[in-house]
Amino acid sequence: MMAQSRLITIAQKELFDHLRSRKFLLIFGILLVVAIVGMIGGVTEYNKNLDSYNKHQSTIASPLSSSMAEKPSILSVFSSVATYLVFVGGILGIAMGFDLVSKEKESKSLKILLSHPVYRDEVINGKALGGIAALGCALAVVLVIALATLLVYGIVPDGGEVVLIGIFAIVSFLLIFSYFAIALFMSTVMDESGSALIYTIIVFILLSVLVPTLANDTVMEYAIGSQPEIPQELIDQMQRSANTSEGSAVSVTFSTKGNNGAWDEFNKRTQAYWEKRQMVEDTSALFSPSMNYQAICAVITAGNTEKNIVISTGNNAATAFSVGSEGDAHGEEILGRIVANLVALLLFPAVFFGLAYLRFLRLDVR
Amino acid sequence: MIQLEHLTKEYNGVRAVDDLNAGIPDGEIFGLLGPNGAGKSTTILMLTGLIEPTAGRCLVGGLDVARDPITVKQQIGYMPEDVGFYATLNAEENLTYFGKLYGMDGTACKKRCSELLPLVGLDGVTKDVGGFSKGMRQRLGIAKALLNDPAVIILDEPTANLDPQGVADYRRIIRGVAREGKTVVVSSHILEEVSKVSTMVGILSRGKLVAQGSWRDLAKDLSRKPDAHVTILVETQDPMPDISHQNIISVDYERDRHCAVIVARSDIRDEIAGQLAQGGIRLHGLSCEGISLEETFLSYYQTAG
Repeated sequence: MMAQSRLITIAQKELFDHLRSRKFLLIFGILLVVAIVGMIGGVTEYNKNLDSYNKHQSTIASPLSSSMAEKPSILSVFSSVATYLVFVGGILGIAMGFDLVSKEKESKSLKILLSHPVYRDEVINGKALGGIAALGCALAVVLVIALATLLVYGIVPDGGEVVLIGIFAIVSFLLIFSYFAIALFMSTVMDESGSALIYTIIVFILLSVLVPTLANDTVMEYAIGSQPEIPQELIDQMQRSANTSEGSAVSVTFSTKGNNGAWDEFNKRTQAYWEKRQMVEDTSALFSPSMNYQAICAVITAGNTEKNIVISTGNNAATAFSVGSEGDAHGEEILGRIVANLVALLLFPAVFFGLAYLRFLRLDVR
Repeated sequence: MIQLEHLTKEYNGVRAVDDLNAGIPDGEIFGLLGPNGAGKSTTILMLTGLIEPTAGRCLVGGLDVARDPITVKQQIGYMPEDVGFYATLNAEENLTYFGKLYGMDGTACKKRCSELLPLVGLDGVTKDVGGFSKGMRQRLGIAKALLNDPAVIILDEPTANLDPQGVADYRRIIRGVAREGKTVVVSSHILEEVSKVSTMVGILSRGKLVAQGSWRDLAKDLSRKPDAHVTILVETQDPMPDISHQNIISVDYERDRHCAVIVARSDIRDEIAGQLAQGGIRLHGLSCEGISLEETFLSYYQTAG
């Protein structure tokens, strides 16, 4: 009971420290602005897509227009918020965590704090709990404003959409908490807040910029070999088809069920290449909270798990492949698609908080 | 109240504290003396449970600090050297936070703050601690050390940043709490400060406790050593004859033998007065300068070195 009280005392102080901190308020303010701007942009886009959908529904008579049959998801409104949040949220998490312990070392308050009847794990847990509470408050405000924006524009989400918005909020929290935990770890390792901040930013850049670049063509070519080239006879065939068509842009679709053996072979090799590449990309993405977050948000906000890959062959000709499951993705399918990213996003803060915890327990307070 | 048994602390193979044994009874003000790097702060950190000994143990009220840190910390009030507080909180908010960690409720914290802040001269100061001078922080540190009404108060260099009024307040407070039966440990390298408040001293040298006891006892012990000496000043109304005694090291006669400065191995004023009286010499003054604090400290320190 007493231990719980001490933990709550520390967590309360940390929470109020965050809420009174200028840097927290400043970044939170920026987060609010980008959330509002993102929501308004998202709503405008959603309304536009909805109009197109409604117009399309009224002219449904034509069987050829079946490609635009899907109603836009309300969750698509959150996609631009997610784009901003992946960066601003990361910065918020870093700002909240980088000096939690190092500042106490610098101000010598850590020694006086630990001379009180508290266990070290209560101190580090209290700090984390205070941070979680502050993050929770910040995200709750953002979520309320986001929902209010939807309602102002007359958009009312249904039960399923509310659940997805909830998942969106949770993963957003996990993203920010991941960077918070990394910053907290650096704060326990470094003696100075400046060093902790610099090292956390380096890790942030590594995870949010460098890991995604691992999936570029050069790295991929080195890792899994080059993309299969289209046989010359197929290129010739496509060019012939293009030359006989009118207009400046031509989309050429080949049937995979045809008798063309060269095409079938190329299609098979290309499909295998892209699946392999997708697997490498997905695996490398697991090592970045930002990429996990983006992957989850892409599924939630689009409601579509299909990944379309377009191969340009020049001369206005292109062909497309799909990797992953096709069609609408809902409920269990969405969960199945994001579970790896979700687990990775959960593991990140857990691992770094665990390291911070261990480090803090062994901290030399001389 | 405090017992240190074979207390040892090593950092990377170097012994900062080496097999320290000491006992401090209730109600004593124990001055822990030693030059920089002697192991004073390390000893205090082990005593407060902030670091664990490599060997040996610290007992406070019969409890092992390393095994039962929470119970021991409840009984201790500690002020470290370069005391640090939360810069964005004011004095009362800082004390309230620490009070809650001692299990005090809001009302108890408020009451204790209203007693302690005037005691250390910080009543009515509402600004954040970030705006405090070093001296004000030190005053707040003393208040913090008394917050939980501890049985043991441990102060590391408590007067380092205090002004003369602050030092006087500090001495008054420390003597007051000792009168209440609390044990006070004061670590310092300022001899005069320790001598003014402490009833017992321990001299640390290179991690070892080379002497422990009252200043008087230590000086007495020292006077028994072959190289110890005292200075006796003799002033007479008549010119004095040669003074002789087996303990005299040297004699300087001044002012036409109306004054003599005698360096002796012990206080031989009675013997000198007897000799002069026998010769019919009228005494004007006879004083003895004992072994100074510095001499005592340096003697023990150099002996250990």
